[in-house]
Amino acid sequence: MLKLLGATSVAGLAGCSGNGEGDGGDGSGESTASATRSVGGTYVSASSVDAQSLNWLTIADATSGSFVTATLDGIWAIKPNREIFPLWGDYATDDGRVYEIQLRDNLEWGAGYGQMTADDWVYMIQNIFQAQPNWSGYPNAADWFQTNPESGQREPIPVEQTGELTFEIRLFEVDPSFPFKPVLWRQQCIPRGILEQYVEDQDAEGLQQDEELNTLAYTGNLGPYTYDTWERSARYTVTRNEDYYLRDVEGVPDRFAEAPYFDQQTVRVISEESTRLGALESGEVDSAGIPPDKANRFENLPNVTVNVTPQPYLRMIVYNMRSNGWEPFRSKAVRRALGFAVNKESVVQNVLRGYADVAQTMQPEWSDWYDDSQVEEFGVGDRYGPEETRTRLESALSGTEYGYDGERLVDGSGEQVTLSIYYDSGQPTEGTIAEFVAQEFGENAGIDVQPEAVSAPTFQSNYVQTSAPDGTDPEWTAGTFNGGPRDVATSANSWDMSINLQFNTYPFTPASSKGFFERRGGINFYGYYPEEDISALYEEATATTDEERRRELFGEAFGLISEEQPFGFLAMPSSVTGYAETVRGYDEEFNTGWDSQAWYFA
Amino acid sequence: MRWYVVRRVLWAVVATFLILSVTWGLLAITPNPAAEQMQFQAAASGGSAEAAEEAFEARRGLDRSPWVRYQEYMTNMVTLNWGWSQSRSQPVIDAIAAALPYTAIYSVPTTILSILIGLAIGLYSATNQYTKSDYAATFFAFFGYAIPNFWFGIILLLVFGVQLGWFPVVFDSDIPFFSLGMARQLVLPVVVLVTGTIAGVMRYSRAEALEYVEAEFVKTAKSKGADGYRILTRHILRPAAVPLVTILVGDILGIFLAASYLVEVVFGIPGLGQLSYNAILAQDTSLVLGTTLIFTFVSVVGNLVQDVAYTVLDPRIDYGDR
Repeated sequence: MLKLLGATSVAGLAGCSGNGEGDGGDGSGESTASATRSVGGTYVSASSVDAQSLNWLTIADATSGSFVTATLDGIWAIKPNREIFPLWGDYATDDGRVYEIQLRDNLEWGAGYGQMTADDWVYMIQNIFQAQPNWSGYPNAADWFQTNPESGQREPIPVEQTGELTFEIRLFEVDPSFPFKPVLWRQQCIPRGILEQYVEDQDAEGLQQDEELNTLAYTGNLGPYTYDTWERSARYTVTRNEDYYLRDVEGVPDRFAEAPYFDQQTVRVISEESTRLGALESGEVDSAGIPPDKANRFENLPNVTVNVTPQPYLRMIVYNMRSNGWEPFRSKAVRRALGFAVNKESVVQNVLRGYADVAQTMQPEWSDWYDDSQVEEFGVGDRYGPEETRTRLESALSGTEYGYDGERLVDGSGEQVTLSIYYDSGQPTEGTIAEFVAQEFGENAGIDVQPEAVSAPTFQSNYVQTSAPDGTDPEWTAGTFNGGPRDVATSANSWDMSINLQFNTYPFTPASSKGFFERRGGINFYGYYPEEDISALYEEATATTDEERRRELFGEAFGLISEEQPFGFLAMPSSVTGYAETVRGYDEEFNTGWDSQAWYFA
Repeated sequence: MRWYVVRRVLWAVVATFLILSVTWGLLAITPNPAAEQMQFQAAASGGSAEAAEEAFEARRGLDRSPWVRYQEYMTNMVTLNWGWSQSRSQPVIDAIAAALPYTAIYSVPTTILSILIGLAIGLYSATNQYTKSDYAATFFAFFGYAIPNFWFGIILLLVFGVQLGWFPVVFDSDIPFFSLGMARQLVLPVVVLVTGTIAGVMRYSRAEALEYVEAEFVKTAKSKGADGYRILTRHILRPAAVPLVTILVGDILGIFLAASYLVEVVFGIPGLGQLSYNAILAQDTSLVLGTTLIFTFVSVVGNLVQDVAYTVLDPRIDYGDR
């Protein structure tokens, strides 16, 4: 019988056993002995935007989420090495379908709401997350519905309380990735006593404006810090929680023994980049994000340490294969040939200043699911250059009206092929990439590419949203971004290529990118029809509990994606952050902030 | 005069109603980028774009008819219950009350200094026309006018904040309002705004004063032995002040309200400029209407004060029973 467990056993939650995990190996600055940690100081970070709310039921932005997470841990975290680290609770499953969640027994709400129990969770899930209609407007409600294979309908995932501190989630189908999805990962909870005031009357306004929710008055001992002040557009301050539950838990790494290690944490909202960076340089803030073109200067400053962490966001050329794009993009051979036209190393080194990794498929190279032996590389080494591009492109276009006239790729009337490439007008780096791609296509493929700037909202509404013309009834439709077959449904404006959007590759839950490679995928605004059945591989991998087999299947899927070149994969930019040289705890790994409560000043 | 003021106030109410209605209408028909982004993110992670849109509408109260929403917003405006700011999770009144002092604390000294320095330089230039000091004053005024506030602010921050460390780089809202620390961190924003504002006051006051420098009554005063200060303040400034009021009251209010966003962004001041701009970006209807009302009020009152000031400065002007 298969038994999947998190990092600690369920018994360990009650303080009866430890997980024996030592300090080391999971990328959290653990090489520093805990003896060097001491409590003190105010950690000040800079943010370019402010939060919208501290009432997390109403928010969908990352900044608001990070403000709340400082005071509410959530049920578990994921370590960079893709291990679950239980915070409020852990899970157990026999079959990858039914998950039993066990809460710790030392979790206390604030504001007199008593102990956190399974009843709080089940009440919240059933009455808020799974309410029909979604009266509260909870932004992630869709996560709590799945298609029931028996009825073929999307239904609420059954959730049931099984004890004072335990409840079960019964998925309709096996999903071993479930704990890694942002369904329960860092999921927070609200006392039933607060929610009950609004559920019966479905009082969305009351819930939104509840004072206890908006001042985080209920957080008790559930997070490393407690809410202090939030001065909008200026600063958010939290104070060390003297009763933090994790300090009393046996079996967690030593570095959590006195966590958190800052007396206070403050986020200062500084929207202007130059001011933000000036504040970092002058020591007025202890951390701030740094754009790649400025990173080199900060690497030379003695009072700032630059930390570079890989990110899962993909920078690529999206080809428009719908009828208002360039039709040859529909050919796999053409897309593969164009894969030889752009030097990806140059994109990484010259445009992104070395703060990025070359991308070859829908998964970063550092991911568990990336299989070198399966992935076909393009745009690097001898798989890049004019000769390589032209011979392949000529062959791919044989039998069509297109062909080479000397250095130029021409159409049937002898005119050079001219294509557009769109980029975000508010992103200078994107503009540089677009110019570089245009230059590479011109020199290596003989195609004249014209970069076009467009604002993000305009691109979204006029280029990404697709629909069939009025009066047409398409054979099928898959929503706002895939309004039907590519010969019928198009965007309002025509386009050929774009680099406006970055796609998440989901290295913790790779199956989440399935929709990109399905003809009827909800995100397939570019009209890609895969030649291989990539989504079948995704589905098989999703339902496989054997970790090794899943790795094989996903490896094969990402290999096929690299072979088909649905996008012109370019790079995965890294996150560059500058820290005051006294800050300790962060690491050069993806998701390095998962244990930020153990960070400290040297 | 009283009837004139009453009519102006009544017209201000009508104008405010129209401005708020148009603002509301524009917001209602503008697609919300945040909603579209949420739909895209939902679709990209395998979810439903339509469900994301419905959730967004439920949160924002957009699942009601436009007429119901319009009525609610306008009723809120009239009853001074300006509603709830969706982008800041606080009552609109609280948001404005929190932001207003931060705008006032740099705009009041800016306005006073702009008037004093601009007038002084303008009058000096008028009485010393085409001298080297007149050219120097004109150069100084136009330097501030020509240089973009945004860029100038960043340069000052980098030089005097980061390199020399004389002033803090980031505005600290925790510092008490009436303290040396607050004055210190306001130096750079006020310098940026004052340099950007005095050129208009200076050139305008110079031009107006020049009309009277060679006037017969000024020559008479000079021949009677009046000293330079008396001539300047009593015989030149007094008649020149009437047209100057137009710029002193109206334009300066407009200038600092328009400029405040840029300065607030550069220096991180949580004032009305940032508040209103961010509210528009977030399509936070209640907050946009609340801040619009504030700006409309400032403009209307500014114009009214300007008209009344004419009668005080020049007794020949009388609105009578108009």
